[in-house]
Formats: sequence, C-alpha cells, structure tokens
Amino acid sequence: MTTTVPITLTINGALHQAFVQPWHTLLHVLRDVLHFTGTKRGCNQGICGACSVIVDGEVVRGCLSIAANCQGRTITTIEGLANGNTLSNVQQAFLELGAVQCGYCMPGMIIAATALLKRTPKPTEEEIREGLSGNLCRCSGYVKVVRAVQVASERGTS
Amino acid sequence: MKFYQPTTLKQALKVLANEDDARCLAGGATLVAMMNANLLAPSALVSLSAVKGLAGITRRKNGSVTIGAMTRHQAVADTAALDGGQRLVREAAALIGHPAIRNMGTIGGSISHADPAADYPTALVTANATVTIENSRAKREIDAQNFFTGYLETALEPGDIVVAVSIPAGVAGAGSAYEKFARVQGDFATVSAGVVLALEKGVCRHARIAVGGCAATPIRVAAAEAKLVGSRLQDSAVAAAGVLLAAACDPIDDFRGSSEYRLMILPTILARAVSKARVRAETVS
Amino acid sequence: MNPYIHPVGARLPRLETREKITGRAEYTDDLVRPGMLHAAILQSPHAHARIISYDTTRALAVPGVIGVITGDDAGWGRSGPFVKDETAIAKGKVRYVGEPVAAVAALDVDTARQAAQLIDVVYEELPAVFSPDEALAPNAPIIHEELATYVNVLGLPVRGNVLQDCEISQGNVDSAWGECDVIVEGEFETQAQYHAYMEPCAALAEVDANGKLTVWSSNQSIFRDQSNLSESLGLPMSKIRCLSPKVGGAFGGKIEITVQPIAAMLAIKTGKPVRIALTREQDMETMRVRHPARIRMKTGAKKDGTLVAREVDILMDVGAYADDSPGVVGVSTVFSRGTYRIPHARCRGKGVYTNKLRSGAFRGFGGPQAAWAGEQQIDEIAAKIGMDPLELRLKNAPEPGREWMCGIELERSDLKECLEKVRAASDWKRRRNEKGRPGFRRGIGLACIPHISGVLSSSAIIRILEDGSAVLSTGAVDNGQGSDTVLVQMAAESLGLPVDRITFAQPDTDASPYNWGTSASRVTYMVGRAIVGAAEEAVKKLIKYASQMMECAEVDLELRLGGFIGLKGVPDKVLPFAAISGYAHWAAGGPIIGTHALHYDGPVLDPTKAVIKHFPFRFGVWTFGVHAVEIEIDEATGRITPLAVWAAHDLGRAINPMAVEGQIEGGVVQGIGYALFEEMVWDGGKVANPSFMDYKIPGTMDSPMEIHSILVENPDGSGPFGAKGIGEPPIVGPAPAIANALFHATGVRLTKLPMTPERVLRALNEAPRAH
Ligand SMILES: Cc1cc2nc3c(=O)[nH]c(=O)nc-3n(C[C@H](O)[C@H](O)[C@H](O)COP(=O)(O)OP(=O)(O)OC[C@H]3O[C@@H](n4cnc5c(N)ncnc54)[C@H](O)[C@@H]3O)c2cc1C
Ligand code: FES
Ligand code: FES
Repeated sequence: MTTTVPITLTINGALHQAFVQPWHTLLHVLRDVLHFTGTKRGCNQGICGACSVIVDGEVVRGCLSIAANCQGRTITTIEGLANGNTLSNVQQAFLELGAVQCGYCMPGMIIAATALLKRTPKPTEEEIREGLSGNLCRCSGYVKVVRAVQVASERGTS
Repeated sequence: MKFYQPTTLKQALKVLANEDDARCLAGGATLVAMMNANLLAPSALVSLSAVKGLAGITRRKNGSVTIGAMTRHQAVADTAALDGGQRLVREAAALIGHPAIRNMGTIGGSISHADPAADYPTALVTANATVTIENSRAKREIDAQNFFTGYLETALEPGDIVVAVSIPAGVAGAGSAYEKFARVQGDFATVSAGVVLALEKGVCRHARIAVGGCAATPIRVAAAEAKLVGSRLQDSAVAAAGVLLAAACDPIDDFRGSSEYRLMILPTILARAVSKARVRAETVS
Repeated sequence: MNPYIHPVGARLPRLETREKITGRAEYTDDLVRPGMLHAAILQSPHAHARIISYDTTRALAVPGVIGVITGDDAGWGRSGPFVKDETAIAKGKVRYVGEPVAAVAALDVDTARQAAQLIDVVYEELPAVFSPDEALAPNAPIIHEELATYVNVLGLPVRGNVLQDCEISQGNVDSAWGECDVIVEGEFETQAQYHAYMEPCAALAEVDANGKLTVWSSNQSIFRDQSNLSESLGLPMSKIRCLSPKVGGAFGGKIEITVQPIAAMLAIKTGKPVRIALTREQDMETMRVRHPARIRMKTGAKKDGTLVAREVDILMDVGAYADDSPGVVGVSTVFSRGTYRIPHARCRGKGVYTNKLRSGAFRGFGGPQAAWAGEQQIDEIAAKIGMDPLELRLKNAPEPGREWMCGIELERSDLKECLEKVRAASDWKRRRNEKGRPGFRRGIGLACIPHISGVLSSSAIIRILEDGSAVLSTGAVDNGQGSDTVLVQMAAESLGLPVDRITFAQPDTDASPYNWGTSASRVTYMVGRAIVGAAEEAVKKLIKYASQMMECAEVDLELRLGGFIGLKGVPDKVLPFAAISGYAHWAAGGPIIGTHALHYDGPVLDPTKAVIKHFPFRFGVWTFGVHAVEIEIDEATGRITPLAVWAAHDLGRAINPMAVEGQIEGGVVQGIGYALFEEMVWDGGKVANPSFMDYKIPGTMDSPMEIHSILVENPDGSGPFGAKGIGEPPIVGPAPAIANALFHATGVRLTKLPMTPERVLRALNEAPRAH
C-alpha cells in the first residue's frame, strides 16, 4: 500500500501544491512535477551539490530531502534569487568574474554561496572554500568562483 | 510505501511497533541516498522531523551535555556547550561532509547507521557518551562503546528510536581533539582518532583514545591508554600507544585506502590528535 | 577600450551567463514535449556473453509501460568514427559489464526503471579479458569475431584483439644510443579517468508524421550525432535533425554518440517523444574513460643536455569498443616525443580491445599519458647530468627554421618564452631551494606540453539582417568552454559591429553549416577561421552594394567601426549597414550572406621524412605550454598538496582572456585530480566505484587557489586574429609536474598514476633518505 501525500510548499514566495509519493525527493518534485528545472541533478546521492536549495533559510540537498517531509516549508531555488531583471549580488559577481562555464553546477553553487554569505557575511578565503566544499564543479577550477564570492561579500549580501 | 509524520515520540514509537520494516527518517542524508540507489525500499518512512523534544542541546549543572537525536550536525558544530573533554564531539561534527550535509544530517541518524568511517561514532566512544534509546515498551541507556556492535550494526532492536546522546562532563581540566584523515575534504574518514587527555604538571593523568575507520566499530584499547597515563606524552609513549591500537584494528581495503595504509598512518593521526589535545589540556590546567 | 566595440581581446563575460545563473538555461533533461515518455535501460551483468534470448513480457505488462526495445529490434546498425563496431544496444553479444541490452519507455521514470529490471535476458557466458596483456595472450578470447568485416574507415591493421598499431619514427634510434652519454629507461602506468562532466548524458527524441526524427541531446557535435544516428538506426541523414540545448560539460566524453539512438529507437517504436537521462552510476558504467596506458620509454642525451634519441612503446586499453581509440593512440604516440627536437625517435602505439568500458576521447587525447612518462624522463636526465631541468628543456626547445619533427618546420616556437615566463613568475631558482616546514617537504617541478589545434573541417555563415545586425551560424556546440561568446567576438570584430548586434544561431543540423565538433582544441582556431572568411565575404558584398548606392568604385570604400561602409578619406560620407542591407533585401542583389568553409590545411607530419604508420589525422597547428607546480608533501601520511601552479600557454592571441583563464584553471584542476586521486577501478569486469562517493574529483578544498595563468600571445600566422586553441593543453601538465616536484622534494619517483598518499608514503618509506 502506498500513501500519496498532499504537500504545500512556498517556492520563491509563491504557494505550490503537489501530490507526492513517500519516496519522492524534493528535487524530483521541483524538477519533474513543478518544473523548476533550474535546480540540477548531478548524482542523486548527495555528493555533487547541483541540487542545492535553501529550505527555511538553510542550504540542503534537494536529492536527499523527502518531499513529503517538506510540507509547509519555504524554499528558495535558483529561479528565486534575482529580483526581476536585477541579479542578486552573488549572481552579478559570478557573471562579471567569468566564474560560469557550462553552468550545470552553478545553480547549486550560487545557492550555496548565497547561504554562506547569509551565515558569514564577510568570510575569509578559507571560509568560502569550506562553505562551497560540497559543490563540485568540473569546469571552473574554482578560482573564479571563490573570487566571485569575495566580490559579492564586499558588495553586501542582497 | 507509507509516510508518517508523528508529532510525539509516543506516536512515532507506536507506528514503528506496528509497521514491519518501517524506517525512521531523520536527516535523510544516508537513508534517502540508499533509497535513490535502490538499495533500500522500506515499507514506511516515519519522519522524526516534527516529533517534539528530539532536537536540541542542553548542558546540565553537572557539566554533562545532552544532544537530542534530531540535532543537526551543524548545531553541534556551532554549540558552545561542548568544551574540555567534550570538545572533540563538536570538532567531529564540524568535519562531517559539507555545509548542506551538516544542515541535514542528525546525530541520531549518524550513529544509528553506524558507519565505522563516520565521525560521530569515534568521537562519542572517546568522550564516553551514553545513548538513550526508547521503544514502545521501555527506555534504556547504553554506553557508546557497547552501542556500536559491528559494521553498520548497533544495539538497536526493531522498534527502537535513539532519542538522545549524553556526553559526561568527564575529568576536570581535560582537553580533547578529533583528527581525521580523508582522501578529499568532506569525505568519510580513511582513519580518524579521538583523544581526551588530562595533565598535571606535564604528566598525563587521564587518557581516553578511540580510532575510527580501522575496524567494524571504533576501537578503544585500555593498554594503549595506559601507555599514556603517567607519561609526559613524549613521542615514544604516543608511538607505543599507536602500536597497541594498530594491533587491535582490522581495517578493510577500500577506495579510501588499503588496510595496510590505514595501519601505517594510524600512529600519525593519533599523534596529531594527542598533540592538539595536549595543548588544549595545558591551557585548561 | 569598450569590449562591446573592440571585442577581440576583451574580458567579456559569457553571453549566456544570465540564463545559466538564473536557472533559465535549458539542458536536455529540462526539456519537455507533449506526450513525452521517459526511458530507462537494462544493463548487462556480464563482461562477455552471448545473448540467447529476451523475454519482455513481464516488463510490457507493467502499467504505464509503452514500449520496449532490445538488440532484436530491426534496424540497428553499427557505428563508430574509425571502426564501425558498435550498436547502441548490444546485439548478439555483450562485451562489458553495464552495456545496455534493452530499454523501456514508460509514462514516468520510476515505472521505466522498474520495468527495465523485469526484462529477462538469457546469456551464455564467455571467457573475458580485462587487460591488454590478457587480450594479447595466445588463445585469448576474441572480443569482436567479425572485426575484419566491420567498416574500417582508414583501413587500420586490425587483427585478433588489436585495434590500432601505429608508428611514428625518424632517424636511426638503434645506432643513436651509442652517441648518448646518459640513458634513462622505465615503464610508466596511467589509470582510467572519468570525465565527470556534471551533466550526465541525456537525449530527447521525437518522430514526426513523416518519419523525420528530431533529437536534442547533450553533445559536442550535432553533426557527429546525426552521422552516428544515421549509421545506428539505418536512416538517411535527411531524416534526422539534431539539436543542442545547453551542455553541462563534456571534455571529450560526448563527442561521439551517447544515448541518442536509444531515445530515438524508442521514439520510433512508440511514436511518442522519449527522453532519457542516465543516472550518474549508469553514466560511469556505460560511457567512457581516459585510456589506461602502460608506456615503456627510453631517452638518451649527451652530457651537455642535448637530447639524442627516444624510444617509446605505448600500450592502451581500448575497452570493448573502438570509439575514438585509433585517434587517441595515434596522437599519444606523436606527443610522446614531447616538445623537444629529438633527431632519433621510434614511437609505437598499440590499442587493444578488452571486456571493459570503452576508453574514448578525453581532454588531452593521449597527451597526458605520454607526458606522464616523457616529462619525468627529461627530469631524470637533468638529475643525472646535474643540469637544471628548466635549462635542459630550454636547450632542446624547437626553434623556427630548424626541423622539429617529421619534416615539420615551425613558423615560430614559443616554448622558450613559456619557459622563461614560468621561470620568472614562479621565482624558480628561489623555490628550487626552498625547504619544507617540519614534517613536510616542499618541491617544485616542471612539465612541458605539446599540443595542436585544428583538425578536420568547419564552416560559417554570416547573414546581415535588414536592420544591419547579423546572425552568425556555425553549427558549433558550446560545451561550457565559452565558444559561443568567443565566436561572436570574432564575428563582431570582423564586421566592426558591437557584440550585441550579432546573434548566435543555435546549432541545428537542418540549418547550421557543418562543424566536425567541439573537440581537439579546434573551435576557436577552425571555426574562427571560417568566421573570418565568412565575414570577409559579407563585407565584400556590403561594399559592392554600397558602391552601387553611392555610385562610386568599390576600391574607394572601406569598412568602418560600428556597422558602416564609408568613402575612404571622407569621414562623413558613410552608409550604415541597415541602409545597405535594406537595399539588398528590397531593391537589388538579395540578402547579404557571407560563407566560408575549410578543411585543416596547415603543416602535417611528412611521410617522406619519417615513418608514419596508421596515424589517422592531418594535424595541426602546434602550440606549447609549460607548467610549474609547487607542492607540499606530508611526510607522515604521504599526502601531496599542490600549493601553486604557474601555467604558461602559447595560444597566439587570447580572443577572450577571461575565458582562456577559465580553460587553464579548469584544466589544471582536472589535471590535479588525475595526478593525485582520480581512478576508475574495476572488480573483474565491473566498474567498482561508479559514484562520486567512491570516485572523487577535486572540490574547492582540494584545489589550489593560486593558479597563475600566463598567456603568451604571439599571433599565429594562420589563426583567426592569430589565435590558437587552449582547451586541452592545461590538463596535461599537472601530473608530470607534480611527479617532478615530488622527486625534487624527496628524491622519490613514482611511475604509476595516481600519486595517492599511500603510493607516496610507501615510496618514501622505501627510499634511502636522499635529501
Ligand atoms: C555527501 C555526504 C558526505 C558525508 N560525509 C560524512 C562524513 O564526512 N562523516 C560522517 O560521519 N558522515 C558523513 N555523511 C553521513 C551524514 O552524516 C548522515 O547525515 C548521517 O550518517 C545520517 O544521518 P541522518 O540524520 O541523515 O539519518 P538518515 O539518513 O535519516 O537515517 C540513517 C539511518 O538511521 C536510522 N535512524 C535515523 N534516526 C534514527 C533514530 N533517531 N533512531 C533510530 N534510527 C534512526 C534511519 O532509519 C536510517 O536507517 C555524509 C553523507 C553525505 C550524503
Ligand atoms: S544531485 Fe543532489 S547532490 Fe548531486
Ligand atoms: S561550470 Fe561546468 S560544472 Fe561548474
């Protein structure tokens, strides 16, 4: 017997409803049910960080979060960071510094950076590296990613 | 598969008692990864997220600290409550995975899964912690050392829930440290070591040591601790303790390192933990 | 200078960045078509087995399952770039564990995955071979019994389990050893490295009412997709349209076919759009790795450091299918000579089939394996004759006007400049004398990198729109390295238009001109040349129509910045492109279109000057690089930590220095992973570590923040604006440079990759304390 669970999520400020199976992950529901495809699936095992989203203010793995367990939570995805056409400070810095290559890791990376700056507004280089250590990127070599977070932090966290 | 979201421990225990093959869902960092890989398909998930009273860290007057099973790794890493001989638990929590994993994973989930390469088991055995377990019939307490019974095996019986972990105040003036060696940052340990020391005028008067990643459970050897007690923690004493520990270990070959390599570096990892703990103990005394 | 007006050389952020950082960029697995089904594969549990029968009844009975395909379905053909030995789903036989044997299309992924496991396949197991040595043994089981009957495009000397057997030789090696004062000799081994692009392979296929197939996929070349699909499915290319959404990294792993034919066959069978995305585990089990290699090498030199002779035998594990192996083995063989003038060289490369996952193209294309051996031997010689390894490299660097290899004379050689710049930037002398802190050793090592850019063919179309802006169409797929931006920069510069007046047409085999692929560090160089040619033609037409409108001679007109044609010497006598294009569209001449197509036409290995057997390319414009890596070694654990990297690359001209740095930084970190811990491991025929939990790639904490990119810019005569490619060389340097640094710090030399803490520690423990 399977229970289908109705859930309500606040995603990027708007209410969404879905019926989910107990094994469905938040990542699945975001991407394949609600079509928030900005959040990526790189491993489905919690290791690569491509699925990072912010739930109730904290960065977590979408692929390891059971959707039914997210009932009533507030979720921020990559689609929710910009304000209209105005990019967030983190997004703007990633753009200017050329930190983005194929971009597949970037939704997760930018979400993790955003969460990091919220927790530690003026991080050291070491704290930035540690804060992003769970987000794998195969293209960039990380140098410009870390610099971009430094720049975003100098400009403030919005 | 069914999904339960109990709000009290009693409800949760009742569901567990009634459902064969139900699993507690804590942070999900291990359970969901296994489900995604088709390694596991429980009949029901019993979420502990909404269960009142399972998360939080409390320090009692006697100096012992109780960590609720649903307390996230990050909360333990950030707490000021753990110090002296308890500090290594905080240090271990801070070395688990990455920020998102620490925001999800819980101490109850970590020890229930009981991966010998995980960080809590070794740290908790070193700190002489006690695990509080409840089922629908009774509540009991078990020493961390007796809680871990084998590779991914614990003293938990079907229907049991870990409700908390308590770390005693321990010896006054103690210092502690947790040292981890992993292939890359955030990986499970190839070898790890926890050390609690107390000193008097440079002489070690109390020592507890455990090593992780080198056997099916954390390994503690009384004779190794005895090598340190009474010594000035000179290299030869620490090395002798390392040799005794290595002899008691039975590591496996895996992608994190060969069995032999683990034994090769164990004394070094231990020595590094000892020297950190010693500095801390000295500042305390 | 305004980067939008003088785009070539500008640090322009990638044009598509906004899409990627707001989550709006679409990758294949993000696409949805009406009525779309989801697919899953069933994989072989055996390394080598005959398929006796399939039973799909149970799978088809699962509610939600719409279609199943197996090797028995009609229409499967064999494809492959060199030897056409592979069907998209195993037919008759399986040749590696994990090989797709059947696939299911269903209403949702869960159902498809579950049903795939319900397909019953009866196998008859065959003996298998897991290493080239086993495969070469007498009486070894033959992996492709019909090898001789397969289409063999270049007539390679295939036999038994041998796929490629090539040679590049020159001079007289046997007698040359006598001239040498010092000879070093050794055997080196390299491991399988997984591409680990962050986006697992995916495809979406749809068939229209006329039977025309449209395939969106994560790929490096829509044209390779189209051609491979045509062979795989037995359809004419005119019935196949390939498109590329955003690609989440590729690094060579997506240049040939991936899962496109599986999605396509299911779409044909069900009449519905079908999407498939591999799980990470499946991607690691079914796609490609960098060739594991064993290299025997011998190098001789005179006392003064002059290199005299080198002999090389490379043995590569091809895996179960040929894929790009004949090319990789060939290129590795050429690159095994290094960046040096060596008068006597005998280099042989052999590629052998085994019952393992196929090896394929991977950034560096055989270069990393060759450099691992060759660059260590250069340092060994330096140590033996007591010469600084940097000086030794300088002494043997190629020089313009002197033959370098196989009859090639370089127009210029910037290896010396790269070496000198690395020497200065790294403060080489001081760092060579630095000692480590207690418990640690410190060392710095060098590696030189030979590479080429430009093979095969490319083309471009530039069409001037009615308002004077332009559309650039090249068919080149951007894998994330930034080619869309760099190509637009070159088109903009050529036309004198601001960057935002050029639109980049998304690759589409129905509409784009041909481009072989985003591979071989060739897009900037080859597609760039096509763009410059197309722009010239467009400008010629603009001038022609302007001359009609202004009633003057064409020779009196010139291109002016900002989208104008002007009368020479008369500043205010101009016509905007808009007016000219309007005239062409509405009055006379017709729309202005410039096109250019080319095949690589530069210097090639000369078969009259050297023995060149079975080398499968006409190649390429040479480019050199030099890396220095400073490391720290933990004496007690053996862990190597790279502290800083200096990477000088001779790239002609950096069209976009920021993109170039990105290529260098990314390549270096991939190279560090290769050097220190990445390794695909097999347990018998099964990949034992097909997950990121067990197969580690570098994260932020494992990568040095000090990567100094040194761009050596001396324009290349043939390149567009003087540019050459930079995609691949950066991955080649780190492993040998770190090995040389390890030797410098400890006196210990490792010949086997990766340099895990365990291998380092064992070597340190065994070595006499040299330092
Ligand atoms: C990428 C990654 C990196 C990691 N790195 C590390 C690392 O470096 N070091 C480390 O130690 N760990 C690491 N982990 C594991 C991590 O710490 C997990 O969070 C932890 O092992 C499980 O905790 P959880 O709360 O997520 O439990 P869950 O995954 O929810 O549960 C795990 C198991 O315990 C059971 N369970 C959970 N809570 C209870 C309870 N209160 N009573 C009884 N049974 C219970 C569940 O039913 C399940 O069987 C990593 C995990 C990932 C995904
Ligand atoms: S997809 Fe969730 S961490 Fe990789
Ligand atoms: S930009 Fe490609 S993986 Fe990070």
